[in-house]
Amino acid sequence: MTAEAQRWRAFWPILLFAAGLLVLTVISAGSVYLVNKARDDSKWVLHTIEVENQVNTLLLEVRRAESSARGFLLTQGPDFQSDHERAVAAIIPALDKLTRQIGDSPAQRDSIEKLSAAIEIRLGQFAREMDFIKQGQTDNAKALVREAAAGTTTTTISNFANAMIREEERLFRLRSVNADRSQTLAASLTGIGSGLVVVLALISIWLLRRSASIRDEAETRLRDANLNLEAVVDERTADLREANNEIQRFAYIVSHDLRSPLVNIMGFTSELEELGGDIFRRVSSLTHVPAGGPPLASGEITLEGPDKQLSEDFSEALGFIKSSIAKMDRLISAILNLTREGRREFQPEKIDIREFVEAIVSTLAHQAAEAQAEIHVEPLPDIVSDRLALEQIFSNLIDNAIKYLKNGVPGEIRIRGRTKLGYAIFEISDNGRGIDARDHQRIFDLFRRAGTQDKPGQGIGLAHVRALVRRLGGTMSVSSELNAGSTFTITLPVAWNASTRKPDR
Amino acid sequence: MTQPVTIIMIEDDEGHARLIERNIRRSGVNNEIISFANGTDAMKHLFGADGSGLSQKGNALLILLDLNLPDMSGIDILKQIKENRYLKASPVVVLTTTDDSQEIKRCYELGCNVYITKPVNYENFANAIRQLGLFFSVIQVPPAAP
Repeated sequence: MTAEAQRWRAFWPILLFAAGLLVLTVISAGSVYLVNKARDDSKWVLHTIEVENQVNTLLLEVRRAESSARGFLLTQGPDFQSDHERAVAAIIPALDKLTRQIGDSPAQRDSIEKLSAAIEIRLGQFAREMDFIKQGQTDNAKALVREAAAGTTTTTISNFANAMIREEERLFRLRSVNADRSQTLAASLTGIGSGLVVVLALISIWLLRRSASIRDEAETRLRDANLNLEAVVDERTADLREANNEIQRFAYIVSHDLRSPLVNIMGFTSELEELGGDIFRRVSSLTHVPAGGPPLASGEITLEGPDKQLSEDFSEALGFIKSSIAKMDRLISAILNLTREGRREFQPEKIDIREFVEAIVSTLAHQAAEAQAEIHVEPLPDIVSDRLALEQIFSNLIDNAIKYLKNGVPGEIRIRGRTKLGYAIFEISDNGRGIDARDHQRIFDLFRRAGTQDKPGQGIGLAHVRALVRRLGGTMSVSSELNAGSTFTITLPVAWNASTRKPDR
Repeated sequence: MTQPVTIIMIEDDEGHARLIERNIRRSGVNNEIISFANGTDAMKHLFGADGSGLSQKGNALLILLDLNLPDMSGIDILKQIKENRYLKASPVVVLTTTDDSQEIKRCYELGCNVYITKPVNYENFANAIRQLGLFFSVIQVPPAAP
């Protein structure tokens, strides 16, 4: 799986969420808009109906005025007169109301102007009729009524009113369609939006399920990988242990086999030395025959000039050979001891470290007294470890501390300890000559030493100590400055057991 | 009648063999020394062609044995000598470069009489061999099994 794909996978849910939000917003906004529009449309539909009603009302009032006027003409009853007056009084407000209502449509405005004009004419006729009737000129009134009935005013009024009603009906149809459309749109929008939301939800669920299954799969793989890793680590550890054993065997065999020829070299060198002694004794006895005297006692070699030189050169050469062999033997022995230590199996046991260190200190008391050193052992934590290994570690370090004190300065050596997170930390510090920072690594190397080489030693101790500390599952470090003393710190597990580090097989 | 003891030296390193012989002679031991440079020859001599050891019946032997031989392990030779009824009474001196305590212990367990590590320091080496010579001169090699 590439990083790109992973980024995309993480991006998907965000994208979906954003899409869902957008859809919801659009639907909401659209719905609000469409609902508003539908309400508007309905309002207009209602308005149309109202206008139609108003037109009818107006017509009705005109008719009422007309019929009551006729009634009045026929009977001269005051009832008809008051009825007529009420009808006439209602016509103008009704007309005004209608004019206000249809202010939105220019076509209707045109119609209403004409209608108003016709109604005004009609109202004038009514007024005259009523005047004639009141004055008792019934014939005049009748003639006027006939004239009005025959005239165009009434027709005009009904025509215009009908036209207006038709117009309003047209508008009604139009607006109904509009309102229907708005509602349908709102419904479709809601439907589509809901559908989209459902689809998005489905996609989300699918993605979630897919990522969950991927996660499960990854978990399984991780678990497998862990198991595999453990197996690999075990395998590698076994390999390393095998390699380590191989190296130890190799070192052991090599150092052992090197010793055999060394015995010969040393043996025959010594034989040569003796032979040389014999030869030069013989030379001396041949060259120095005292006149008349007895031959020199054997063992006394008196040589002169070139013979003496030869003898000295011979001894010098042999001396170098012998000292080199001795050194080589010490090195080989050191390697042998190291490999032997590396092969020894540790026996963990509970050790009272303070008592244990004090016992070591007491065995070194003589050297300490000679070096005018005081050793302070502070309370130390007890640990479970290998007694012999610890003895070598502590005695080496304390011995070093005594060995490398500053000349003429009374030594002060301190052994401190504490525990931390399952490890015991021991510090062996001195006020000795110290170690240059450059040599801090070097001193742990086999056959390497640092500082003034005025003390006997092979450069093995610290290498050995560190190897032991490591085998005991611990670490070791030094902090020191030249002429300012040294502190060696060893960290060891409080409870070492074979499983901390499996014993070498 | 007392039979002179024969020293059998099984040592693959000629130099070592020579040094050992020299120092034995210097300590005043004049017994016959038979040298073998490998295990096979030595075994043939000790156990005879049939491998029963019958040929050495009645001979007083002292065996100087090196553990690191080219063809076989000295430990095996020691084991076989100590298991053979005609040879098991012969003293065996293991003289070798190995100073491994496990190996020393094993040799004593198998019946070795003396274990000497060849020191590189020649003085010590010569000393050890001379003392061995002294040991030879006083040792009473029991008559071999009848």
